[in-house]
Amino acid sequence: MQGGGAAEGEALDFEPEDDDLMDEDGAPDADASPPHPKLKSAITSGAAPSLSAPKKTKGRGFRQETDTNRNNRLSGSDFDSLTTEGGPGPQRSIEGWIILVTGVHEEAQEDDLQNAFGEYGEIKNLHLNLDRRTGFVKGYALIEYERAEEAKNAIENLNGSELLTQNIYVDWAFSSGPINESIRRKNARPTRDRRSRSPRRRY
Amino acid sequence: MATEEENNEFYLRYYVGHKGKFGHEFLEFEFRPDGKLRYANNSNYKNDTIIRKEVYLTPAVLRECRRIIAESEIMKEDDNNWPEPDRVGRQELEIVMGNEHISFTTSKIGSLVDVQSSADPEGLRIFYYLVQDLKCFVFSLISLHFKIKPI
Repeated sequence: MQGGGAAEGEALDFEPEDDDLMDEDGAPDADASPPHPKLKSAITSGAAPSLSAPKKTKGRGFRQETDTNRNNRLSGSDFDSLTTEGGPGPQRSIEGWIILVTGVHEEAQEDDLQNAFGEYGEIKNLHLNLDRRTGFVKGYALIEYERAEEAKNAIENLNGSELLTQNIYVDWAFSSGPINESIRRKNARPTRDRRSRSPRRRY
Repeated sequence: MATEEENNEFYLRYYVGHKGKFGHEFLEFEFRPDGKLRYANNSNYKNDTIIRKEVYLTPAVLRECRRIIAESEIMKEDDNNWPEPDRVGRQELEIVMGNEHISFTTSKIGSLVDVQSSADPEGLRIFYYLVQDLKCFVFSLISLHFKIKPI
């Protein structure tokens, strides 16, 4: 892409696949894809809605005339967000730090989470949503701590631990920047700020 | 590792709305592949204005969203026997997961009665509950991130 990245001597991953970082706001056209070079693999850019690999499609939405506004409602730049201080990584929410817990047992109660997570700090907010059809716990919980360190400790200590015979996974919920390919690979590297990749090697 | 990642695309958009006395009232949210969650809620009721929020989610959150969708099995459904959008309102659900891309549209669903009396009660029921579960998830994320607790 645009070669704006200054060489900083960091080891970059030159993965042999296409990685187009999308425009900040995303092109609003549902159908327009930026012209991609022919890809060796099926991996495509992450920009929505300009996904480029052919998909099996289904539904009336493909056959209907797109309402002119459909593509505009979620585009544009006047969306409120919290400003990020500092670099990439987890982002602070309005009054604290939010973590996501997954793998929660369907019969878990708020108290079970309070007991496990309360050890790392005072829980300011706890959302344990139910499955709307069954009434059981949906499987995730969102917990807020006032301080980043409390959240970090909860993550480090409880991620992969057992709650009511089931393993739970704990991680930050909000990030200060977009996910790029290296994060999707589930390694621990922090999110990079929209740095464009060097052009692919041409064989 | 590469093969699993190749089908790793994920995108979701949900819209529900209608046009009436208070303008184009709608709720819409979008999970983008890069983790950005965008949320918009519009009404001119009592001259209110649009609410627009956005925040970047971590891969963990996207993964949970995918799990909710996968578990619902909505990707196996089809909207061709669902009621068409009408004057009362419209819902749209667009999901890209792996190599499948669905884009369903239907009318508003008032309650399970509407689901039961439709031409595809099984499929519409899946849609009905998935939408509720997704709304729960999004409202929790947005309110936790943006809303200040009253004293």
